[in-house]
This record gives sequence, C-alpha cells and structure tokens, in this order.
Amino acid sequence: MKFKLNTLWMRIALSEASLVVGLIVVALIGITALSTVQDTVSTELASLTTVSEETNDFTAAVFEEMLAAEQYLVDGSTEARDRFLANGEIAYASQLRLAELPELTVADQASIQRIATLQSETEVLYSYAHAERDLNRRTRAEASAVVARARATELMRLVREYSVTQVTRARTTSGSLQQTAADRKLLVWAVLVASICIGTAIGVATLRSVERPMARLAAAAEHFGDGDLRPVSIGRLPEELAGLGGAMDKLGTTLRGLVAEVIAAAESITTTADELSTGSGQLATSAGEVSAAVLEISEGAHGQVESIEKSTTAAEQLVGAVTASGDASNRVVNLGGDIHRLAETYGRDVSAARESLLALGDVVQEAARQVDDLDRLSEPIYDFIDLIKRISSQTNLLALNAAIEAARAGERGVGFSVVAEEVRQLADSSSRAAEEVSGTIQTIRDHVAEMASTMSRGRSQVRGIGSVSEGAAKALEQIVQAVREVESEAKRVAGEATNNLNAVDEIKRELRSASEAAHSHAFASQDVAATVDQQGVSTQEVAARAAELSKVAERLQKLVGALRT
Amino acid sequence: MPANRGILACLITVVLAACLQPDNSILIGLAGPFSEPAGRSMRLGAELAVSEINERGGVRGRRLELLSYDDRGQAATAVQMARRFRDNNSVLAVVGHAQSITTMAAAPVYNSEPNPVVAISPSASSVDLRRAGPYNFRVCPDDVAHAQALAERARAQLGIRRVATLYHNDRDSRTYAAVFRRAFTELGGTLLAEDPFSLALPSFEPYLTRAATRGRVDGLLIIGGGTIIGPILAALDSLGSRSTILGNMDLLRHAQTVGRDLEGSLLSTAYLSERTAPENVAFVTAYLQAHGGQRPDQTAAGSYDIVHLLANAFENRGPDRASVRRYLSGVGTVTEPFEGATGSIAFDADGNVRRISVDVGLVREGTIVPLPER
Repeated sequence: MKFKLNTLWMRIALSEASLVVGLIVVALIGITALSTVQDTVSTELASLTTVSEETNDFTAAVFEEMLAAEQYLVDGSTEARDRFLANGEIAYASQLRLAELPELTVADQASIQRIATLQSETEVLYSYAHAERDLNRRTRAEASAVVARARATELMRLVREYSVTQVTRARTTSGSLQQTAADRKLLVWAVLVASICIGTAIGVATLRSVERPMARLAAAAEHFGDGDLRPVSIGRLPEELAGLGGAMDKLGTTLRGLVAEVIAAAESITTTADELSTGSGQLATSAGEVSAAVLEISEGAHGQVESIEKSTTAAEQLVGAVTASGDASNRVVNLGGDIHRLAETYGRDVSAARESLLALGDVVQEAARQVDDLDRLSEPIYDFIDLIKRISSQTNLLALNAAIEAARAGERGVGFSVVAEEVRQLADSSSRAAEEVSGTIQTIRDHVAEMASTMSRGRSQVRGIGSVSEGAAKALEQIVQAVREVESEAKRVAGEATNNLNAVDEIKRELRSASEAAHSHAFASQDVAATVDQQGVSTQEVAARAAELSKVAERLQKLVGALRT
Repeated sequence: MPANRGILACLITVVLAACLQPDNSILIGLAGPFSEPAGRSMRLGAELAVSEINERGGVRGRRLELLSYDDRGQAATAVQMARRFRDNNSVLAVVGHAQSITTMAAAPVYNSEPNPVVAISPSASSVDLRRAGPYNFRVCPDDVAHAQALAERARAQLGIRRVATLYHNDRDSRTYAAVFRRAFTELGGTLLAEDPFSLALPSFEPYLTRAATRGRVDGLLIIGGGTIIGPILAALDSLGSRSTILGNMDLLRHAQTVGRDLEGSLLSTAYLSERTAPENVAFVTAYLQAHGGQRPDQTAAGSYDIVHLLANAFENRGPDRASVRRYLSGVGTVTEPFEGATGSIAFDADGNVRRISVDVGLVREGTIVPLPER
C-alpha cells in the first residue's frame, strides 16, 4: 500500500499514531521510572533490611560473645566458653552476609574489613585472656581482656557507623530516587504535552484540510443549488475529497448536459402541449357540436315521430283518391310521352336536314369562292405568257440578227451561225410553248367558268332545300299545336285530380316536413359523424403527442436514473 | 562531506587502535600479590605460558599479552583492580587472584552484569568461592580437600592422635578448622585445643602451654597466616615441644623466609613440582630453564595451566568474554579435561576442579616428600 501524506487517512493515522506513540512513550517512561524506583527501592530496602538485621545480629552476637567471654573470665565455665564460640560463629556469619551485600563501595569494603579485623582481634584477645585465665594468669588475662574490650568498643562503634552509613546511603538513594522520579515526572509531562500538541496540531491540520475543502465543495454545491451550473474551481483537495471534487465536477457537467436536454425536452413538451391544447380545443368544440347535433337529432326524431303519425292518417285518407287519379295520370303521362318522343324525333330529323343543307350551302359558297379565286389567279398567267412571247420574239430577232452577222462573217461565223440558229429555234419553241400554255389556260378558264355556272345552279338548289326546311318547320309547328292539345287534355286530367289536392298538399307538406326532419337528421348525423371523425383525428393526434411525451418522460427518467448512479 | 568525515573518523580510529595495540594481541589480565613470593611465582608461570603460546604463533594468529595489576593481597585493592579489568573490554579473561580473601572480594565485580569477565584463580582455596558466581573458576582444590587429606594422612599414616589447632581468625581458617576437626575426630583423633590468632595476639605461648596441659600434643595444626610461623616456632622451641607441624605448603615457604626448615612437618599441597606427569615435567623443565633453576610452586603451575586453558578457549570458541565462559564451563564435560601441570582439570558446576587431588607429604630437606598412596 502506498502511503501518501495527502490523505485524510494518513493524517488521522499520523495524529492517532503520534498520540499513541506519545502515550506509549509516557507509559514506558512511567513504567521504567516505576520499575527503576521499585527495583532500587526494593534493593535498597533489602539492603537496608539486611544491613539492619545483620548489624543487629552481629551486634547482638558480638555483645553475647563479649558477655560470654567476660563470664568465662569470671567462672571459667564450659557453658560460657561454648556460648563464646557459638556467638563467635554467629558474628562471623553475620559479618559474611554484610560483606556479600551487593554494590558495596570501597568504603563499605574497608569498613567491613575493618570490622572483621576488629572482631577477629577481639576474639583472639579474649581467647588469649581465656588461655591466660586457664593458666591462672589473672593479671595477664585481665590485661588482655582490657585490650579486648577496647577493641570490642571500637568494633561496636564501627558497626554503628556502618549502619549509619548504610542508612545515609539509603537516604541518598532515596533522594536520588526522588530526583529521578521528579525528572521522569517532568519528562512524562513534557512528552505528554508534546504528544498532545503534535496530535492536536495534526488533528487541527487534518480538520482544516477537511473543513476548507468541504466549504469549497459546499460553495460549489450551493452554486449548483442556486442554478448556476457553470464550472467552479474547487482547488487542491485531500485524496479522499479529490474524488468528491471530481464527482462534483462530473455532477456539474452531468447537470449541465441534463439541463440542456431538459430544456430541449421541455421545448418539445411545450410544442406538444400546444398541439395537444389545440387538439383538445377542437375536441371540445367537436364535443359541443356533437352535443348540439345530438339535441337536434333528438328534436328531429320527435318531429319525425309526430309527422309520421300524421302522414299515416293522411295516407289512409288518400288511398282512394290516389287510386282513382292514378290511372288518368298514367294515361296522360303515356300520351305526353308518346307525343314528346314523336316531336323530338321529328325535330331531330328536321334539324339534321336543315343543318345538312346549311352545311351544303356553305360548301357550295366556299367552292364558288374558290372558283372565283382560281379564275382571278389565272389572270397573271396570261401576263407571264405574254412576257414569254415577247422574250421569244426578241430572242428570235436577235437570233436572226446573229445569223445575219454570222453570214457576214463567212466561215469564221459558221459556228456562230449554228448557235444563232439554235437560239432562234429555242425562241421559237418558247413561243410555241407559250402559245400552248395560253391555250391550256384558256381551256382551264373555260372549265372554271363552266364550274362557276354549275355552282350558281347548285346555290339555287340549296336555296330550294331551305324552303323545304321551312316547310318542315311549319309541320313542327303543327305538332306543337297538337301537343298543346295534349296539354289541355292533361289539364283536364289535372282538374280531375284537384279533388285530392288538399290531401295531396297535406301529404306533401307532411312529407316535406318529414323529409326536412330526415334531412335535418341526416345533416345532424353527418355533423355528428364529421365531429366524431374530427374527434378521432384529434384523439389520434393526442395519442401521438402522448407517445412523444412518454418518450420524453422516459429520457428524463433515464437521465435521473443516471444521476443516482 | 559527512560521509567523508565518517570515513576519516573510521580511519583515525583504526590508526589509533593499531597504535595502541600494534600486534592486535589478545589481552589477559593477571592479578596477584606480586610483591609476595606467591605472587611473583604466579606471574612467572603465566609469563612462561604466554611465551610458549606466542612462540608457536599465538592464538588464531594473534599474540597473547598479559596486563598485570598488583592487588597487594588486600581485598579492597583487589576490588579496585577487578573493576579496572572488568571495565577494560580488551581484557578477555583474568588470571587471579592468588588468595582466597582477594578472590572472594573481587568475585562480585567479575560477575557483575552487563559485562562480566572470567577470573580463574590458581590457588584460592576458600570454600566460599563455590558460590562466588559463574564467572569464577579455580584450578586448585579447596580448603575442605586440604583439611580432609591432611586429617586422614596425619591420623592414618602418621598415627597422630592428639592435635592442637591454631587458626587464623578468619572465616576460611575457621572453616578449615571445622572440617579438620570433624574428619580427624571421626578417625579417632583428639583435638586438644582450637585457638585463634591474629596479628594482635601477644604470644602463642599461653595457647601452646594450655594445650600441653590437656595432653601430649602429637601435632600442631597451623591454619592460615603463614607469616606468623616464626613466632609459633619460637614458642614451640621455648616450650621444648616436639609436636609435628601440620599445615599447608605456605608454612614451609614462610618458614624458609625466616630461616626455618620445618623438617618433619606434614604439609598438604595442591601441587608438587616433582610430579611425574609429562605435562608437569615439561612445565617444570621449561620453568627451570626460564627462571634460573627456581622450582615452580602451586601458583606458578596454576597460572601456567590457566593461560594455556584460556588459549584453548580463544582458539576453540573465539576471543571474547562470553565464549571463554562457555568454553570453561564445558571443560571436562563438553570437552575433554585439560591435562596440565597441576593435573587433569575438569570443572564442576561451581567452577571447581573435580579431579585434582591434594598431595600430602613430609618435609625432607626443605622439600615435601609425598606420602605414599594408601
């Protein structure tokens, strides 16, 4: 795992670690100090106890030994001698234990050595005195005893001094321990305060490193909350919050995209809503119309019911009259029909003949006009023929002159005379041709004149046919007269039907009313149908818009769903 | 720069160390009463061993060197010297002290943590040394062995029945006297008197006279305080006593210093230069050659053996204090016993030798002639 200082975890871990390390150090110092104090106190107490006990034992033993020695000097008893030796052993044992105390100083060693020497000398002097005493040398014994007592006194003093020295050393050690304890106490406080300061500093720094970025993030969030989705600079963040900052940026980006899409979707929705509104208005109007139409249908239905009831009654009354007038009417109708068909047949024939005649007249007139045009157009041909004749004549003259001149030229003009001859022949041919054309043209004009006369005759005949047509028209007039007679006959028939006129009128009105009602119903039904159709269309439009809205809603849901994830 | 300074400091340290110990030698402490005969022979024996070892190449290519302090035979001085040895980390072991009083006084220092150091005495016989501490060893029998051997030989081989005891009034002598009393009386002997002495004693005459009044004194046991042998002999002479002097080897040495020969005395000793073991013959030969024909005594042979024993420890376990302690504690159990001039050295759990016997002999012409084994 990589350790990065720019992480909240590491900062908090450092803070905790500094506190824990500080506490451990404090605990270690405390434990060490306590152990040191405990060990030292224990050692010193043990030493003091040993010193005290051994000093007491030693002093008591030496004292008992001296008492026994003195007693032996007095009575020479074995009991005193044994007690002297026994206490001597005890004193030596105590002395040895004193010498084996740990960490004895050189002064201690010297003191113990001096004590041992003094004890040894004291015992030796008492033993010596005892020997003198056993040899009944009282004076020498007493003299040795005096020296022994002095050594014993010195021995006691040394033992007391040694004891005092040990007590003093214990006090010194105690003072040193107190000083050590005080120093350790100070050290503990210092380490504790330092640990707390370091931990607090790291904690505060960590809090700031969290608080400030969080404030920036909160500001960015408020920024977004206020609707300003523009990118916001959050600054450098701890690693854990860097993810949050990135998420905030991503959130802004997503929101911006989302809002853009929402705006587009909203516009789409707005348009759709407008259309839907329009469709709804139409639907409402159609609904009103449907309602009115339905009302009309309802009213019309009532009228139809009443009219039908009345028509039923009138129809029953008219059964007889209708039956009587039915035959007459049929006959009139048949007659009228025959007449009409006859008149129409004649009329069509007459008209056709007349039109044919008129058309023939037009053809004749057109032919006459074209003949006139032909005759008129043949005039310039004569002029042309004359021209050709003049040219031929002049050419003939020229050819003649040329032949003359050629003759004059002799042989040199032989060729030329041949050409002149040919030209003269050509001129002659042209003149003959012109003559032939002129004769042909004259023939043609003759035929045209004949045709013109024929046409005049034809025009007269057409006029005769016109008169025939007029006769036919007159015949038709007669026919019309006959029809008029028929009409009078029909009027008569109508007179016969007059008796049924009221009933018929009534029936007509009722039927008309019924018809109007039926029409009204029909129109209303049509309106209803149209309205229904309109409603159907509107409904489809509404459905289409609704589907569109549904798609927009799905997109919005997807976007919202993306935001949650 | 700091790195350069560090390197420079290391170089200076190495150079200074090289200057202080140019041969990179292994240092052994030697503590004893060098102003006294026992101390002097102790030093000679140790120096002979060091010389022999260095002549054959030292230990692990390093020379042995002795650092000697004179404890003057005094407990307080011995403590001071012991502290100096202990606090000098270059000293890997100490040969010393020669006497029980100095050895016992210094023992707590040698055994003190955190830096204890082995101290091997060549001649301290105090019974109390058994509980001095794990870093104290000795290569000689203790007072109990001496007292028992002397009591047995005196009673069984010389037929001594009544004995008067003069003991130096210290703990060791009192212990010795108690052991002898028990052993001698168990063998049917009688103690006519047990009297203490010290330098403060005006005269031995009352003790000796009183003992004589209690019966014929076959033997006079003198325990400790060999320096007072002169006044005792004078008192005996004045009384016309023919008691056999009983005691240890120190009496003869002290008597000789005052011109007496102690002829016929029965003395105990932990070492006799006349022993025929090849290790001892070699040692004595070398000692005689090195010191102009002077025969070695117990302290000489003991210090000689101790130095060789330490060399073995350095060789086998490495030259450091803890290794020396571990090696010595296993001599005779983990390793084979060390066959030295003083005998077969094998340590028990208290650092005492288990196999070295006490020789008891009669003084003949200034030397001790061992009594034949029973």
